[in-house]
Amino acid sequence: MKSDHELVPVHEIMDEKEVRSLFEKMNITQNNLPKIFTSDPQAKKLSAKPGQIIKVHRTDFGNEYLYYRLVVEG
Amino acid sequence: MQAEIINDIKFGTIAPEQIKKLSVVKLNIPDTYNEDGYPIDGGLLDQRLGVIDPGLICKTCGARAKTCPGHFGHIELVRPVIHSEFSKIIYMLLQTTCKRCGRILLNDEQIEIFKAKNKEILDEGFDSGHIHDEQSEEQTSSIKKLKNLKKCPHCGEVQGKLRFSSPTYFYIDERRLRPDEIRDMLEKIDDSDLRILGIDPEASKPSWLVLSLLLVPPVNVRPSITLESGERSEDDLTHKLVDIIRINQRLDQNINAGAPQIIIDDLWELLQYHVTSYFNNETSGIPPARHRSGRSLKTLAQRLKGKEGRFRYNLSGKRVNYSARTVISVDPYINIDEVGVPLEIASKLTVPFYVTNWNIEKAKELLSRTEYPTILNMVSKDGKRKRILDINREDLLKEVQPGHILERQLMDGDIVLFNRQPSLHRLSILAHRVKVLPDKTFRINFCVTKPYNADFDGDEMNLHVPQSLEAQAEAFYLMEVKHHIFSPRDGDAIITNSEDGITGMYFLTKDDTYLTNDEAAYLLGIAGIYELPKPDKNGKYKGKDVFSMLLPKGLNFEEKTKRGDFVIKNGILQKGVVTKATYGGGNRLFVKIAMDYGEDVLKTFIFVSSKVADAYVTLAGVTVGVKEYAPNSKLQEDRGRIIRETLDNASSMVDQYKIKKLEPLLGYTMRDSLERMIIAELNVARSKAEVSLSKNEDPTNSAMQMTFAGSRGNMLNLEQMTMFLGQQATLSGGRIKRGYYTGRVLPHIAPNDIGPTAHGFVTTNFYMGLSPIDLFMHGVGSRVSEVYKYLLITRSGYLYRRLSNALQDFYVTSDESVRDANNNLIQTIYGGDLINPVNSQFAELEEKESK
Repeated sequence: MKSDHELVPVHEIMDEKEVRSLFEKMNITQNNLPKIFTSDPQAKKLSAKPGQIIKVHRTDFGNEYLYYRLVVEG
Repeated sequence: MQAEIINDIKFGTIAPEQIKKLSVVKLNIPDTYNEDGYPIDGGLLDQRLGVIDPGLICKTCGARAKTCPGHFGHIELVRPVIHSEFSKIIYMLLQTTCKRCGRILLNDEQIEIFKAKNKEILDEGFDSGHIHDEQSEEQTSSIKKLKNLKKCPHCGEVQGKLRFSSPTYFYIDERRLRPDEIRDMLEKIDDSDLRILGIDPEASKPSWLVLSLLLVPPVNVRPSITLESGERSEDDLTHKLVDIIRINQRLDQNINAGAPQIIIDDLWELLQYHVTSYFNNETSGIPPARHRSGRSLKTLAQRLKGKEGRFRYNLSGKRVNYSARTVISVDPYINIDEVGVPLEIASKLTVPFYVTNWNIEKAKELLSRTEYPTILNMVSKDGKRKRILDINREDLLKEVQPGHILERQLMDGDIVLFNRQPSLHRLSILAHRVKVLPDKTFRINFCVTKPYNADFDGDEMNLHVPQSLEAQAEAFYLMEVKHHIFSPRDGDAIITNSEDGITGMYFLTKDDTYLTNDEAAYLLGIAGIYELPKPDKNGKYKGKDVFSMLLPKGLNFEEKTKRGDFVIKNGILQKGVVTKATYGGGNRLFVKIAMDYGEDVLKTFIFVSSKVADAYVTLAGVTVGVKEYAPNSKLQEDRGRIIRETLDNASSMVDQYKIKKLEPLLGYTMRDSLERMIIAELNVARSKAEVSLSKNEDPTNSAMQMTFAGSRGNMLNLEQMTMFLGQQATLSGGRIKRGYYTGRVLPHIAPNDIGPTAHGFVTTNFYMGLSPIDLFMHGVGSRVSEVYKYLLITRSGYLYRRLSNALQDFYVTSDESVRDANNNLIQTIYGGDLINPVNSQFAELEEKESK
């Protein structure tokens, strides 16, 4: 599922396989990621559950780059 | 290293039983040593409390001075006293509980309501990690009401009026409560009621707040010092404890002798005073206990508190070895990556010299020297450090062998870190090469003052000597000055010439600068160049050609500047003058040199060109006096014309406004439109003045030339001195309005005048002097800018500090992501675009050249 607001970079929930390979590639655990609250408008729209990882397609410097956030209760 | 995670910290008060358990000795003699100078048993330096003198053995643990941790003792107080630091809590407890039955002054119903509201905390207990304050908002407000309750809801006892007088006096209906009475009351309070009041009965029973046993710290905490005269001087805490025991003893004797109650009460109160000041000698309401000399004693609280207390002074603040600090001064003949170190400092600081088979000859040579540079210490393989003195030098010379480490005095070429506080960015600490010099100040090149934000009006700087080879290598590869010529903020050169150096370069490279053979040779000689460029047919040397000799061979560079094109072809300056812009600040000459020739060549260019520039200003002589600011007739004419035009335009706008014919700006009222239009008109006047000044450029006017070179002064300064000051701004950006209700700023202005001069447009200049009204307006403007400056600095300085602290240990990993010290992922790609601002100008130049 993806968000589609014109002013907000695209957010999407990652599936487990993708998450596992990300953690392996980056040599991190989920606790090393920035957080996003379940009450965040984008997380709400995706109805994200705590523990899931949201992938953000940011373009604020021209080229697209990815950003990952851990969904937490709040 | 991964630190252990602390889950929680719990503070409580100490129980009398715990004191007994901790204590190894009961102290009852108010003295330290007997006549033989031996510690008295049961005195305050009883040997069971631990040993600190070398050679003695602890009577408790059998260990020697260095290993004995010290042991606590105790004093049994014959009458209990209140712990003054807790008297506020005692007061709260007495207020909220019944004086007879000890129950909380809430009825059962209220207790239930309260328990329901704070169920979580009360069920899980105080170990659950809830912070105390979180629960207390409602709690304190409901408990505060309790002090007004007249009758206990449980036993019906009428509650007397409680009064607390700082630090340790409690009264009920104006009858003084004795500490033992208070203890009895506190003992009666039920554990479940204590939980409601926010006290964990497991960790601290309220009755423990009334002391009957006093814990005495080991001698390690209060060491006595032996003065040179052989006299012993005791620690302040020991003095205080002596007082406590002495009064305690007298109280005991008086009680046993059946002394009158008044005497007993007096002594009791004195005991209370000593115990109170033992904990905190600055307790309000009591006079501080003093030494014979009149100095007040430093007791427990004073040891911990404040800037010089244990926390801020000893725990947060640490001192550093292998470092030096002194005043800095300039030396234009020292390279930009060098630092001049006074011989006095260089002969105290050391660098390890690792002895090997290959350098043992050199080691012996240094070791045999008696004067600088020599070896100060030798560390043998087993880690023993020996000081090298004239008497043992010969022996050690035989002893030295590969594997030993010698501590060598600081010498030319050693790598050191140089720092000026406040260290606001990474350029505040750079690695320099040592240059040992006479005199007592650190010397640095003028070009490196900018990154440190240093000047020479008494600034001091710190120097650190990296000891391990790893540290030296790290400093060399990451922190050397030449790697930091470009600022990490925007990629502009930050280590560069400025001020006089710019003036010199500007005059040297002007089109009409010609030098004699002697002059050219002198300048190039300073730069270390011993050949001359081609002279012209008159035998003179063009300034531009002399400058070109300093440039790297074969350099090609071209750029448009405010002062026309700047063209270097094949290492020769063909066209244009060097200004501030050439030395960074937009122009990319430095970037070009760094890109094509490398940092070392750029470093040399900055150093050499600054020496030549300084030499040339001295040679040419640039003077600024009042005559530089005297407007010539042409300028005066322009000034009159511009002011007349401006005032005419403004007054016609005002006239239009007065007959309501003014065309308002989109989205503004007519009044606001007028205001904006007048401000716009006044700004036009300023730019007109600027144009007029530029048109009347005078090559003999040093002030003007310096402005064009960019070394000192700007167009606004010139305008304000020779033309007019212009509109004085307020904090909000509008014109000055404050003053009388008739809309005038001063009584000398006509009521309701909305013209330019009535609201801070100053038509006079600094050369002719300001008219009284103009002076006032200028004062308003000056004050505003001063206030603004203050607001900006305090606010932005603190914002920047918080930001840089938050970002301080982020780093870019090999996969181009940004992590912090705990491997948290901050960014997946550095900056989102992998662009390092230091190199951004390189990229832009490359792009431009490829076109």
